[in-house]
This record gives sequence, structure tokens and C-alpha cells, in this order.
Amino acid sequence: MIFTIFKKELKDTLRDKRTLMMMLVIPTLVFPIIMSLFISISSSFSEEAANKEVKIGYVGNKDNYVINQLNQLPEIYGKKGLYAYTDSIQLKADIHKDTLQMGIYIHTDFNRDFSSKHPAKIKVFYNATNIGMEERAKTYIETIEEIALQERYLELELEATELRPIESKFSNIASDKEMIGKLAGGFLPYIFIAFGFLGCMYPAIDLFTGEKERGTIETLLTTPVARWQILFGKMGVVILSGLVAASASLLGLFISIEVFDFVDNEQLLEIIHGILSVKFIITLFLLLFPLTIFIAGIMIPIAVYAKSFKEAQSIITPLNIIIILPAMVGFFPGIELTAVTACIPIINVVLATKELIAGTLDYSLLGLSFTIMMAFAMLSVFISYKRFDKETNVVL
Amino acid sequence: MIEVSDLRKEFTLSKQHRKELNTKESIATAVDGISFNCKPGRIFSLLGPNGAGKTTTLRMISTIFKPSSGSIKIAGIDSISNPTEARKKIGFLTGSTGLYARLTPNELIKYFADLYGISNTDFKERKEHLYTLLDMHDFQEKRIGKLSTGMKQKVSICRTMIHDPEVVVFDEPTSGLDVITAENIIQLIRDCKTQGKTVIFSSHIMSEVDLLCDDMAIIHKGKMLFDGTMSAFKDQMQAENLTAEFIRIVNATKTN
Repeated sequence: MIFTIFKKELKDTLRDKRTLMMMLVIPTLVFPIIMSLFISISSSFSEEAANKEVKIGYVGNKDNYVINQLNQLPEIYGKKGLYAYTDSIQLKADIHKDTLQMGIYIHTDFNRDFSSKHPAKIKVFYNATNIGMEERAKTYIETIEEIALQERYLELELEATELRPIESKFSNIASDKEMIGKLAGGFLPYIFIAFGFLGCMYPAIDLFTGEKERGTIETLLTTPVARWQILFGKMGVVILSGLVAASASLLGLFISIEVFDFVDNEQLLEIIHGILSVKFIITLFLLLFPLTIFIAGIMIPIAVYAKSFKEAQSIITPLNIIIILPAMVGFFPGIELTAVTACIPIINVVLATKELIAGTLDYSLLGLSFTIMMAFAMLSVFISYKRFDKETNVVL
Repeated sequence: MIEVSDLRKEFTLSKQHRKELNTKESIATAVDGISFNCKPGRIFSLLGPNGAGKTTTLRMISTIFKPSSGSIKIAGIDSISNPTEARKKIGFLTGSTGLYARLTPNELIKYFADLYGISNTDFKERKEHLYTLLDMHDFQEKRIGKLSTGMKQKVSICRTMIHDPEVVVFDEPTSGLDVITAENIIQLIRDCKTQGKTVIFSSHIMSEVDLLCDDMAIIHKGKMLFDGTMSAFKDQMQAENLTAEFIRIVNATKTN
């Protein structure tokens, strides 16, 4: 009987355009759309920045080492134009107005200090809100400093290596996979939880509140089917919708990477391929399954209690924040899966997924997280059962 | 056969309900110790003004609500201790019954047949019989949401009768329907009678009651005011017509 109800509710749900949008279309398209927008915007920004002529104003003597070197820098460093200013106040005002993008104040003693081999002072002005200009200013000045340093070595007949008594090398022992997992791994479970929630929401409201509102529940309750069987049949569809929505978001991510080639960094692509293994996907679903039951189990009592679609929606929508907030913990790099965090629902799923991506997952903690999530899922199912069994909740 | 004995239903009132009903009572008694019998091959009408307890009584008979006390037997089965078996004997139809708009009549009827555990052979036979009787063949594959009110009513009737119930419960079945559509229901109720089924229906339309029923009960504020045959009711009438007599009986409780 549970399967008969499940089959009918699934058919009914799949014919609802609103649910289909939330369950399949939006989760599948969200990644390709966001990534293509992000890439096209960022590439157009960097292209514009690279082609843009940077107007550099300077205050100081025109016959100056820095200005001469700046003039001689090849165009590979970006197009530039130099403009002489008489005072730094006007120079800064023009940077503010974006008439200039960079300003250099040459100290009055610059030439004297430079020739007497004392540090010659310059001041560089830029507007950090003007994206890319800080980097461009640093590139120009660091290049000129390096040229001056090489000239100085020659002049003093010194070997550059002689002036480096210690050569230090910093080596990151974390693998790239670990870095991605620990620093960006929180993003994936966050997206999964968000879409799992959205995927559950409309079927939960439609199959419980909707049935009450449309007046179809009474006839269903007069059939020789136990209420728990009706609940389980309907709940199965809500859970499946949540899982499908979460999977569709993963599919969207896969399409973005494999079909649209949005990731053009070969090394990163290789790491992502290494992460997306069959074992990874199975373990991920092992965590997602009780989580989706838990989400469905929270929504169903509300949907059963609500008297109208609107009422259910107005209660369930803010619940989104309560579920999503713990998922955001995944964004903080310092928080890890421990025996304590494994006991906190939702947070444990997020942290376990992060560890899973990083390849550092402790399977005993995964087991603990799974057990805790299953316990919470069963508790939420029990609450749903109690609510659904209360006759005044079910019938208007 | 429906045997109702000393049936009582109480609802616990929430704070909001108490505010809405302007009462300090924490419990509301919807049905207060009513007893009656509905016999096979006869039509029993449950009459009462709005809020009398008709729907609550019919919901208890249909096993949607559990009674607070009392007993109900459906075709000899105790529906309180064995609701699943009792439900197999009941067909339930209300005027406000909705249908699954995204399904077709074929899908809906099959769904309910499966829920009642009807064998495939019986299902095909009954479906064909009902489709022919109700002239449903033309729209059997259309989505219910796209059907007219009359067509939807026929689908509802077919759903109610697909498992060939012994007892049929109608809760204000013609409310909100036009005369032509209501005629389908009136005909169904008559057919049920000729087939020897037990029929109970609630209404507050006296002309409908006069047209159909053999036995009747009047309830008001959950209490039984009259229980007997239609002819007995007519015999003891003090007012000039059925509607006036119904109003007189209900109003008499206010003065008592």
C-alpha cells in the first residue's frame, strides 16, 4: 500500500510544474548559469583591465629614474600614459575622480639619495576600489625596483647570491585536494542542503496541506489503508524530491565542469576529477539520505498542521534559515569534524563532506555522524507520525 | 447496516479556538450521546442546521474521526476496534470532496481500486459498468482539472462505488451543485437503495430529504431531537410543511 501511494504521489508531483522547477530545472541550471555569468563577467573585467590605458600622474622632476624606467617599460605590462602634476593634492583628487588611476610622488631629495646610494623615497597613490589598479601599481614599481637592484649589483660588482646569506623555501605539506576540501569544501554541502530543502518544500506542502485544502484527504482516510502507510507513501515522495534536487545540483556542477568547460585550470580540473569518485558520491548520499529525511520530517508536521498552502509556506520558508545557518559553519576553515561536532545535526554532515572532499575523513566519525543523523531523522518521522495521526490536524 | 449507539465526540479546544468561539470551556462536545440504526435497502437522512454535528457524526461512521465514547458497527464490524475492515465496506462522498486535478479519471479510479485491494478482474468489470452507467468513456483520459463540475461529480461517484460498498455515506452531497449535476447524486442514492445498500446522507434541504429518505434523524447541538421513519415524522408534524416543522423542532430546543 505504501508503494501504491508513493507511485500515485510521485506521478502527481511530477505533473506539478512548480515542483518540477524547484526539484529539477533550477538545481540543474543554477551552477551552469552562475559559473558562466561569473566567468564571463570576470573575464570581461580582466580583459578590460588589461586593455585599459592606465593614466599615471606624477609630482616631481621629469628627469627622474623612476619616471624614465616607467616610460621604458614595454607594453606587455599594460598600456600607460604619464602626466606631470605640480602638487599631490590635485593628483589625489584626480585619482578619486578616476581621471588618473595611479599617482607617484617623487621626493624632492630623490635624485640626491639615489646617486649617493641611500634609499630614495617615492609615494604611490591608487584607489583600491578600482579593481586591479593596486596590482598594476605594484607590478610597475616592483619591476622598476628590481631593475634598479640589478643595476646596483653591477655597479658595486656584487653577486646577487652573495647578498642572500639564507635561502628559505616554504613548503605546504597539505595536498591541493586537502586545500580545496578544507577551504572550499563547505560550499558543496551548503548547496546540497539548500537545494535538498527547496526540493522537499513544495511536495511537502502540496502532498499534505494541499490535499487538505483541496478536500481530497477525507476520501483517502476512508480507504482501508493505515494512516502511517499514507504518511510513509507521501513522505517517500518528499524525501525523493529533496534527494533529486540535491543530485540535480551535483549534475549541474558536473555539466558546468565537463560539458561547458568552465574550469580551464588543468591542475584544478585534475583535482576535481580525483574528488568526484564513485566512493565519494556513495558516501555523500549516505550522509544526505538521513539529512533529507530529517528535513522532510521537520517540514511535514508543519505542512500537516497548516490550514492553507500560504500558511504552510509562510512557516516553512523561514525554517530555511534555521537549516541553512548551521550549514554555513562549513565555510569557516578552522572548524573540524570531531566527536563533539559529529553529534550536531546538519553541522556534522557539512563537516564530514568537507573532510570527504579533502580525503581526510575519519570513518568512525562518519559512522557517528550517520548514526546521529539517522536518530534525528527517525525522531522527525515520529513527530510527523504523531501530527498526522491527530485527526484535527488532518481534516479541516 | 449501520448501528450507532450512544455516540459521543469531544474536541479539546486550543486557546485560539476558545477565542474564536468566545468560550472559556476547554472541551467542546460536537456529538452528545446519539444512537440510531440505518438499515440495508433504506435511505437514512441525518438532518440538522449548520454546526449540529452531522459532519462529525458521518466522519466517525466513516472512521475519519475516533469517537470519544459509544460504538459504531458497519455491516456487523466494530469500526472502532477494526477500522480497516470497516472501511472496506464504506463508500464516502461529500459535496466538498476534491479530486486529484493532475490525474485522469482512469488513473484516479485505478488508484482507489488498488487502495481497496480490488482484484484486476473485478476492477475491470466494475469500472466498465460504472463508466457506462455514468457515461464517462469520453473523458476518461482527460486530466480531472480540465473537466466540468458535472464530469468531476461523475468521477467522484465512480470513485465512491468502485469497491461496491455495502454502506454509502453522503455528507451534504449536493451542496454547491446545480440541479442537473445534483441529479446524478440523487440517482446514485436511489440506485444504492434498489441494490440493497445501506445509505446515510446528511442534508439541511428538506425537499431533498422528502424526495429520498425512508428514515430520518434530526440532530441539533450534538443531541438527537428526532429518530424515526419519514412517515412517522410527517404524521406527528405540527407545522404546515416539512421545512417549517424542522425549524419548529430546532427552535423548540432554544425555548426549553
